[in-house]
Amino acid sequence: MLAEKYADRIEKIFSKYPDKRSGIMDLLYLAQEEYGWLSEDTLREVAALCDVDPTQAHSIAGFYTMFSEKPKGTYWLQVCTDLPCALRGADQFYQELCAYLDVDDGGTTSDGLFTVEQVMCLAACDKAPMLQCNFHYYENLDMDIIKGLIEQWRAQAQQEAAE
Amino acid sequence: MAETVTITIDGQQFQVPKGINLVDAAKMSGTDIPVFCYHPKMDPVGMCRMCLVELGSVVTNRETGEPDVDDNGDPVVRWFPKLQTACTQTVSEGMVVRGATQRVRDARDDILEFILTSHPLDCPICDKGGECPLQNLTMAYGPGESRFVFDDKIRLDKHVPLGDLIYLDRERCIQCARCTRFCDEVVGDDVLAFHERGRRLQIVTISDPPFDTKFSGNTTDICPVGALTTADFRFGARPWELDEVPSICPHCPVGCNISASTRLDRDFGGKKVIKRIMPRQNEHVNEIWICDKGRFGHHHARAEERLTTPLLRRGDEWVAVDWDTAYSEIAGRLKKAGDNVAFLAGNNLSNEDLWELRKLAHRTSNTPRLGVWPAFMTGADAVAQAGVGTGTRLQDMGPDSAILVIASDFEEEAPVWWLQVKQAADRGAKVVVANGRPTKLDRYATEVVHYEYGDAVAVLNSFAARARSKNKIDADFTARVDGAAELEAELKGTRVPFADAAETLLDAEDLVIFAGGEGLTLDQHRELMQAAANLLLLTGHAGKPNNGLVPVWPGANLQGAFDLGFSAETTAALADQPPTVWFIGSADPAAEDAALVQSLANAEFVVVSTQFMTPTAAHANVILPAQSFAEREGTFTNGMRRVQRFYTAQGPVGDTLPEWRIYANIGARLGGDKPRISAALVMRDITQNVPRYAAMAYPALAAVEKQFPDVGGDDLYYGGTAYTNTGGLGIQWPANAEDESARLQVRPVQLDGYQIEGLFAVPVRVLYDRSTLFEQSEMMHTHVPEPFAEINNQDAAHIGIVDGEVIRLNVNGAQHLLTARVNGQAPAGVVLVPQLLSKTPIVIGPAACAIEKIGE
Amino acid sequence: MNLIRGFATTIKHVLEGPVTIQYPEQERPVRERFKGRHALKRYDNGLEKCIGCSLCAAACPADAIWVEAAENTDEERFSPGERYAKTYEINMLRCIFCGYCEDACPTEAIVLEHEYRLSFNDRRDAIYTKDRLIDPPPHGVPATPQVTEPGQFDRSIPDMENPK
Repeated sequence: MLAEKYADRIEKIFSKYPDKRSGIMDLLYLAQEEYGWLSEDTLREVAALCDVDPTQAHSIAGFYTMFSEKPKGTYWLQVCTDLPCALRGADQFYQELCAYLDVDDGGTTSDGLFTVEQVMCLAACDKAPMLQCNFHYYENLDMDIIKGLIEQWRAQAQQEAAE
Repeated sequence: MAETVTITIDGQQFQVPKGINLVDAAKMSGTDIPVFCYHPKMDPVGMCRMCLVELGSVVTNRETGEPDVDDNGDPVVRWFPKLQTACTQTVSEGMVVRGATQRVRDARDDILEFILTSHPLDCPICDKGGECPLQNLTMAYGPGESRFVFDDKIRLDKHVPLGDLIYLDRERCIQCARCTRFCDEVVGDDVLAFHERGRRLQIVTISDPPFDTKFSGNTTDICPVGALTTADFRFGARPWELDEVPSICPHCPVGCNISASTRLDRDFGGKKVIKRIMPRQNEHVNEIWICDKGRFGHHHARAEERLTTPLLRRGDEWVAVDWDTAYSEIAGRLKKAGDNVAFLAGNNLSNEDLWELRKLAHRTSNTPRLGVWPAFMTGADAVAQAGVGTGTRLQDMGPDSAILVIASDFEEEAPVWWLQVKQAADRGAKVVVANGRPTKLDRYATEVVHYEYGDAVAVLNSFAARARSKNKIDADFTARVDGAAELEAELKGTRVPFADAAETLLDAEDLVIFAGGEGLTLDQHRELMQAAANLLLLTGHAGKPNNGLVPVWPGANLQGAFDLGFSAETTAALADQPPTVWFIGSADPAAEDAALVQSLANAEFVVVSTQFMTPTAAHANVILPAQSFAEREGTFTNGMRRVQRFYTAQGPVGDTLPEWRIYANIGARLGGDKPRISAALVMRDITQNVPRYAAMAYPALAAVEKQFPDVGGDDLYYGGTAYTNTGGLGIQWPANAEDESARLQVRPVQLDGYQIEGLFAVPVRVLYDRSTLFEQSEMMHTHVPEPFAEINNQDAAHIGIVDGEVIRLNVNGAQHLLTARVNGQAPAGVVLVPQLLSKTPIVIGPAACAIEKIGE
Repeated sequence: MNLIRGFATTIKHVLEGPVTIQYPEQERPVRERFKGRHALKRYDNGLEKCIGCSLCAAACPADAIWVEAAENTDEERFSPGERYAKTYEINMLRCIFCGYCEDACPTEAIVLEHEYRLSFNDRRDAIYTKDRLIDPPPHGVPATPQVTEPGQFDRSIPDMENPK
């Protein structure tokens, strides 16, 4: 449980805001850090801490692309496919990426390494197609670049697994 | 009207109240600005973009303050470069609006086309089809042709239960957020929210219980499409096939104006039935909201269990007889009984019924015993003096106002008042909640007072004492009040335990007191009402709108019963001097009071008029089948003393008759007049004999005037499907305080609490119960809990019981098996016992009790 | 002369034979667009096309149609989608066979067929109930209500296609 494990951090978070409700984003981050993703039980736990209705926690987690409500792979690739990005080929890029990794929209590769999903604006339209991998931006992409990156990530994961 | 500003809409100038919303202003002026997300009862969000208009303001010369004029002499207007959402604009002087230009038309056309890209267009099966804002606005402003790409249409779930009363159709949802905002802003239970973004935006709930507020049905009214539907009505009929009949909700003292949508139904032998209950606008009473009990509690009108013929007891059997036989039997008995009869009036008899019952009673005796049921609240004289002023509107109460709710679990007893008080609190009104335990209204209270049960009168009395010590006595007003000086002297030196709460109330300009009867004996309740009147009269908070006393009577028409001469004290006295003959009109005391069960069993003769075979009716010698509110005309007087008419919505069930006619027929057998031929004529008798009701003739009660906001009617987009009031707004009878020449009386109150050693049981009322009428709505049964008792954590630990365990409650010499609820709500030493969760009477007033753990 | 011409016409018609036919032994075929008694249609899978929307009743100028709707479940499915007609009645004494109901129907469920022999011994027989109006299910297909897979039939209105 978060409340016991991170009592200090939670208190610190609450001390920043006038009411408990305002701390919900920080707590959701904390919960995601802890569990890797936000399950419904986690949302209820956070909602209880902040004294809001669980539905509101669910809503916030659903709105922001940096929260994930399903388990995800080690590398979480979020491709912006909003209109300006799509105009620069992000749409096409996303489909090719899915095909390359052999996953459906929003799916995770069978080895559990990569999760791919479309997200709303990441504020880098001018450098589309772009994606965000574990909150780091990779811009002006094409399939060649991304293939390289994926190999790199794979190697990195293997290395970490070996250690 | 308050300060006004001049605005120009499409070249026409209008005077509108300052500070109101532009959409409202346009509506007031008779111009349409179409909206989906804006609702006049909620804050604007500007989500749907349907209300785009060209907006500008007149340029004024800074030196002269005069408007600049162009070469033609017309004022120069500075236009916003882009279209603006009207719903997010507040009107200001010189505002210029153009809503009929090509630019605006194109914008609306585009918005509608955009909204329709994700809409399923399954209007033929949609419950909203026919009264759908999206349909109407598409016809009025939408594109004539579709560029719809059917392959791109998104498909979503069409049958998502949000709780067991409301279903969501995700495809139809146009993401206006009216429902989420209603839950959040209006009700304060934010159990609905949006999930995801953009095209995938959808309404969700993961709350537990899910969408289960007492007001959930209202979201289906304000939903501008058919995304939210009720489990009750789903596919019941098409809106254009329904006949709307104005009616009044028979369940609680608020007296919500409702509209009964009726239609012939094969399942009921081709007769008319109520298909659904919709709210009917009355800005003085329920605005446009009703609670789920009122909305879904109408099934009793066509229940199979309805009694259809008079029944006569022959030994252990019931024999169906005709009316004449029943009348003769009763008349014969009443003639012989003389003073030995007691008349008991239930809480939802109409004024006409009460009047005829009273006439019948006077025919049997010169000093008849006229009791009401339930009989734990009294104090009609305090209401008559200091009752809330005519024209009171809770929605007008704001930062200068204070509201005290005492001895009532408000949300359970009067949900729509709760809603309005909660909203008043949101607007800045000071709300003080005083009760022996926490209730839901505490969340919104400025001050919460938790007294010991039994101290309610002392607490309220101390507020008056505080008024004295803080010089809040209104000397001008008290000049009209007899006994004011004596009372002030008496109040001197009274300890004020909750001084903050007292001052919160006393500092306000307007003060309304809602007084319930929780945890009080009848004698105490009389004192509580007097204490409330004392406080209001001493401080001058009476005789004007938004000031005064509102009793939270347990029932739709107890006010009417008190007005027409029935009293709770008489009922109480029946325990000591039980009559030999009982005449009970639509009351079920046997389900609530164990002592009365005994005297009913001992009685020689019992007459019960009722719609259902109740435990009380089981004791009867003659049962007279009565009509429900749906089959007849009548009037109810609500807790704010507003007399309101309801109309005939469906044909009678079996041989049933309206109760006034039954009583009048019996009266005729005892030498009385021929019965009146209609309820209207009975009301005319009342107007001629009861001075307070002199103005209440049926035509006057049916009068309507234009209300603002203008909900209902053709412009469904604006306020939803709450119906226009065509049945009458009703008339409040003025309290004595409103008559400047009337003398008013106050007196010191008895402060005695009750002395109960050890644990004691306090009966409390819950909204969803098994009362005679509501019990018939099967769809609500999942919301009615099993009989339970709430126990304080410490007491529970002491006895060794846990939450959910079945316990034995010993009270008044009887034992009851109840489920224990241990959740920190009950104060120490108190066992809260909800009334009417079963048909077995448990406890009717505060009483000593003991709890036993049942062995393993 | 005129007399002869008159008789000639008469004789010609006598020789032509009768134009009447021996109804009911003999029947004359009706035109293809003849509007006779209504029939409620089914899809090939046996489900009823009628979704109980009541638009036929709304369109009916003679107020001859009475519809009451109810909700389908997967255990008891009458029609695709959520809604079906629980009660469907046409009062043939009122009906003027104008065909507006057919025009109003969003699912082409009601069709005015070629049956025109409508006579009744009792006024009540003139009210055609749903079981008299509805076509039998196609051969080898179960009648309604059917038990169906959840999620298989969630659309009341047949899917529309992009204009070609």
